[in-house]
Amino acid sequence: MTGPARIANGLLTDPDRPVGFRFDGRSFLGQHGDTLASALLANGVRLVGRSFKYHRPRGVVTAGPEEPAALVEVVGPGGREPNRPATTLPLGEGLVAASQHRWPTLTFDLLSINGVFSRFLPAGFYYKTFMAPGWAWERLYEPLIRRAAGLGRLQPVAGAQAAPAETIHDHADVLVVGAGAAGLAAAHRLGTLGLRVILAEQDEVLGGGALQDARWDTWRAQMDARLRRLGSVRCLTRTCVVGAYEHGVFAALETLTPAETAAFGGLRERFRIIRAQRVLLTTGAIERLIAFAHNDLPGVMQAGAALSYLRRYGVAVGRRPAFFVNNDEAYEAAIALHAAGVEPIVVIDARAESRAAERARAQGLDVHGGAVVQEARGRGRVRAVRIVDRDGRSRELEADCLLVSGGHSPWTALASQSGASLRWDESIAAFTPALDAASGCVAGAARGCFGLARAAADGDAAARALAAGLGRSAVAVAVDPALALPEDAEVTPIAPLWEVRGRGPAFVDLQNDVTTDDVRLAHREGYEHVEHMKRFTTHGMATDQGRIGGLVGSAVLALARGLPVAQVGQPRPRPYLQPLPFAALAGSDVGAHFKPKRRLPLHDAHAAAGATFVAVGLWLRPLVYSTETGWGPVLKEARRVRRSAGVTDVSSLGKIDVQGPGAARFLDFVYANTISTLAVGRARYGIMLREDGMLFDDGTVARLGAEHFILTTTTANGAAALEHLEFHLQACCPELDVVLTDVGDQWAQFAVAGPRAREIVAAVVPGIDLANEAFPFMAAAAATIAGLAGRLFRISFSGELAYELAVPAGEATGAWRAVLEAGRPFEIAPYGLDALNTLRIEKGHVTGAELNGNTSADDLGFGRLLKKQGDFIGRTLSRRPGLAAPDRLQLVGVRPLDRTKRLRNGAQLVAPGAAGTGLGYVTSSTPCVLEDGWFGLALLAGGRQRIGQRLHAVAATHGEQIEVEIASPHRLDPKNTRVHS
Amino acid sequence: MLRIRCPWCGVRDEAEFRYRGDASVRRPRGDAGLAAFTDYAYVRDNPRGWHLEWWLHVGGCRRLLKVSRHTVSHAIHAVGAPDDHLPPPPDGARE
Amino acid sequence: MPGLRLRRPATDVVELAALSGRAGDLERIAAGRGTTLPAFGHALLKADRAAVCVRPARWLLLGPPAAPGASAAAWADACAGRGVAVDLSSGIVALDLAGPAVREVLARGCRLDLDPSIFPPGRAAATVMAQVSVILVATRAGVLLLTPSTTARHFGEWLEHTAAPFGIERAAALPFLSGDPHE
Repeated sequence: MTGPARIANGLLTDPDRPVGFRFDGRSFLGQHGDTLASALLANGVRLVGRSFKYHRPRGVVTAGPEEPAALVEVVGPGGREPNRPATTLPLGEGLVAASQHRWPTLTFDLLSINGVFSRFLPAGFYYKTFMAPGWAWERLYEPLIRRAAGLGRLQPVAGAQAAPAETIHDHADVLVVGAGAAGLAAAHRLGTLGLRVILAEQDEVLGGGALQDARWDTWRAQMDARLRRLGSVRCLTRTCVVGAYEHGVFAALETLTPAETAAFGGLRERFRIIRAQRVLLTTGAIERLIAFAHNDLPGVMQAGAALSYLRRYGVAVGRRPAFFVNNDEAYEAAIALHAAGVEPIVVIDARAESRAAERARAQGLDVHGGAVVQEARGRGRVRAVRIVDRDGRSRELEADCLLVSGGHSPWTALASQSGASLRWDESIAAFTPALDAASGCVAGAARGCFGLARAAADGDAAARALAAGLGRSAVAVAVDPALALPEDAEVTPIAPLWEVRGRGPAFVDLQNDVTTDDVRLAHREGYEHVEHMKRFTTHGMATDQGRIGGLVGSAVLALARGLPVAQVGQPRPRPYLQPLPFAALAGSDVGAHFKPKRRLPLHDAHAAAGATFVAVGLWLRPLVYSTETGWGPVLKEARRVRRSAGVTDVSSLGKIDVQGPGAARFLDFVYANTISTLAVGRARYGIMLREDGMLFDDGTVARLGAEHFILTTTTANGAAALEHLEFHLQACCPELDVVLTDVGDQWAQFAVAGPRAREIVAAVVPGIDLANEAFPFMAAAAATIAGLAGRLFRISFSGELAYELAVPAGEATGAWRAVLEAGRPFEIAPYGLDALNTLRIEKGHVTGAELNGNTSADDLGFGRLLKKQGDFIGRTLSRRPGLAAPDRLQLVGVRPLDRTKRLRNGAQLVAPGAAGTGLGYVTSSTPCVLEDGWFGLALLAGGRQRIGQRLHAVAATHGEQIEVEIASPHRLDPKNTRVHS
Repeated sequence: MLRIRCPWCGVRDEAEFRYRGDASVRRPRGDAGLAAFTDYAYVRDNPRGWHLEWWLHVGGCRRLLKVSRHTVSHAIHAVGAPDDHLPPPPDGARE
Repeated sequence: MPGLRLRRPATDVVELAALSGRAGDLERIAAGRGTTLPAFGHALLKADRAAVCVRPARWLLLGPPAAPGASAAAWADACAGRGVAVDLSSGIVALDLAGPAVREVLARGCRLDLDPSIFPPGRAAATVMAQVSVILVATRAGVLLLTPSTTARHFGEWLEHTAAPFGIERAAALPFLSGDPHE
């Protein structure tokens, strides 16, 4: 036996495997199978933390995830992790845990003075008190409050890797939530009827309430074995369903065993997204507290928890327990503790008489009928309870713990989230849910069917009904004698009891320190609706979501309002029903997998050539073929293009193959300029508008056949442009017979640009006469490129004589090498995205900075491209008067007068000496390739009328102001002699 | 998360689809004028109840779907092709 | 035994799309060329070729590698006026997954129900995994997966990372499909 309170062998613990752990610096021994809470209780540790607002001493209250008080920090090599309920934290060898919200130590907490003055800190205190002066918030109040409050703390870990996480997608005919008597019976029935079932159980073992009763051990074991044999049922233990969503989608968090964690590289939790045709909620009921003075004292626990600690871990939570109950179910704990040798036991029952009281007295327990507990007494732990007897006399009884049961509330959170309506059931003094049959159903204690045998029968019936709804009718199955259910005891109904008024705070929410007085204050201040009361007091807003006290708060509010609880209702707990690490939600979409990386077909060739890559959207593109920073290497690449030749990879452009009898008409509709007049073997610059008249995208359209076009889009809009075309083809032009194919990944494409481009391309495309007359600017043709079936376009984005060569991506390396080889006499070299930008800015070509969604065709100087005849997307709204306003931002060039001054993107253009707002801003800028100084493109109000004016470019973030001249955006070769050469 | 029953691919997660807006507005004829196109581009009802929507199944068959969805309950009562006439939504819309 | 055997067969890929109302014509033309075009959501796999249908009236035809563009050109000629054939051999990468953990690994990214009762051999579906488009074809040994080539390396890294706990075996090259014919 480990620890003074370990009086028996537990179902889950192994006395032969002691486990060492540390709590708040002290060393303890527990047993394999313990939770931190059971091990601490076994060692007689009662005080495990302090509350977050008043810093009141707190102990373990429950034995499960509903725990409101025993939240601890786990200290590991990866840092500190706060707010782990000790009641579900498995005791691993070497576990180091610490209490929270104490300063400086747990037993001597300076901030517990908050508790002494607690009558000055009621609900809403923060809203009302720290109002003025305004400056005090930041400098005084907030630091003080932060020092004193907060639910635990995160300790940043320098350099540590994010914890691994993963998401699993699951599917089932039926998701059964909760593996108690009802859930086990239901899953078994559904499985035998051939339905695919996921049985999710938050506990580490199956059984739920059936674990509490030794008479059910055989049934449990048999069920467990049968379910494991059924291939159609998957039992997921340690899996908490944390949210229910529309259309049968559920979120669940699975906690891995240490062995699984080791096998999965340190993975601790799995986020599961479960899609189920139907859900069967057998989530059981949660024992609720009763509000009385100091009902948060360490040693005040839930009665059912005492039974759990005894059954599961062999731990007696006290040697001289007092029970405070109003229902028969709670007696099971008292009788079991008594049978285990704990005595004397006294039961204070609010009801005068009951069947359970008779049974308890027969076994020698002391039962005070018609009595209530008014106050738990003791400093730091329970020493005695003050009771009021049936005749109204008040007296004190010695006790070392007080085990409370105010009844059992069906755990309706998932049902509510699934759209269930709640109905008040007076016989159990709680709300029960009813689910729409199309979603599923609720069974067992979760709908108020208490008693294990009743619950199991209810689960089975629910399963049959669900199966029938899914088209699997139950064949008559003979009752298996081995699976006979132990009988439920006869019970006397509960007498509702929510609060015993007395002197001292009576808590309804232990985690958020909300008392019954706070609830009444909320009512007095007008926060009458239960959802308003919740937000005013924060009742139920802590991580336990008010599982054990939620309904009690509603009842106190109901009493204050003079209404039945049924009319007041209870707040709906929202997802997630359990604290969830962000890492679990992120799943594997982190680090290198945060978003897909698109690599160019020639990625490895670029890397081998020394490229520095830059992420552009999803793409990795060569920025410059150098590891040197600065403009030097960029301008070297650009000068080579202007003077001789360069080659750049433009494979990231979107490419869409358009074929069919309706292709030309469709392209006339989606492009603002006319495409149908394009001759086969020719290409055209094309612009697409959105329906609101703004520019959407630009690119080239080449006609390869009468009914065959190939489009390019900008790199950024590749996917969006395809969707734009698919949407409009299907929504607006279903009569057009057109086939759209995304060929973006199929073709590698590179541009050979510069005065010597023709000679180089001629060498790799021998079959085509490249003479200007034979293959003029904007020609397009199928071509054999370096021996490959490819396509040749005479297109330029650099302002130079240029060709774009397209080859199948899988064969691109050979063609790329052939170009470099053919260009060797001309000192050809690849150029990156920076040089490409430099070249296009000088030529006045626009990209994303100018195609920003707010610019019209006319703004960018494309007004003349808009066709006069025929409908196209954006036609009507591109002609609205507002877009013709003279002060529209129009594309212009910007040249600093001082050739040594740098022009910056984003610099505001202002009139000299004029205060107030700018007239526009610089969108793109670059040092000039062959001359001194900078040049940029800008969007400028009434810009075309301002060409020749002098303005100031103000880069406020850099503290710079320079004088600039407004010019044509086409600085290089405005007459296009180079591209036509 | 919605689950949308694509007439081609079967029930699929919302993540596979791209919402493409209100399907109850239809593009006017090209010569319908500024007012008609202003309505088409900008004016939308924001109903509390059943709503006709375009969803493009980009992660699946890439077909455009017309979906009748309830904006409060997210219930989907019919899905069809762009030219389909969907059955009218049930009376007493579930909320 | 590794949970996942990963092979990358070299294939030619042609996308065949019927013009309006011409799907029947394409089926006849394909039959004449020895290829059966499967119904939507299905695939037909033979030892050296496959046909997959995950878009209405469109088929992906997989076959042994030939000269770039040659198979597409042949199909385009055969289907002229009734359909469109586009070469996607460089645009799509095939991954052949086999082994006992295939479905478990894929469930970590795939939103579809791949249970054999729902997605038996011969079924095909287009979906998204690891934020990348994929086409899944159920085979007897596992799953044939088709994914765009520019994100294939990213997808492969995700797959190997995800499959690592189950054990993974890579076969470098493969003449074509994994010898998993069924029809």
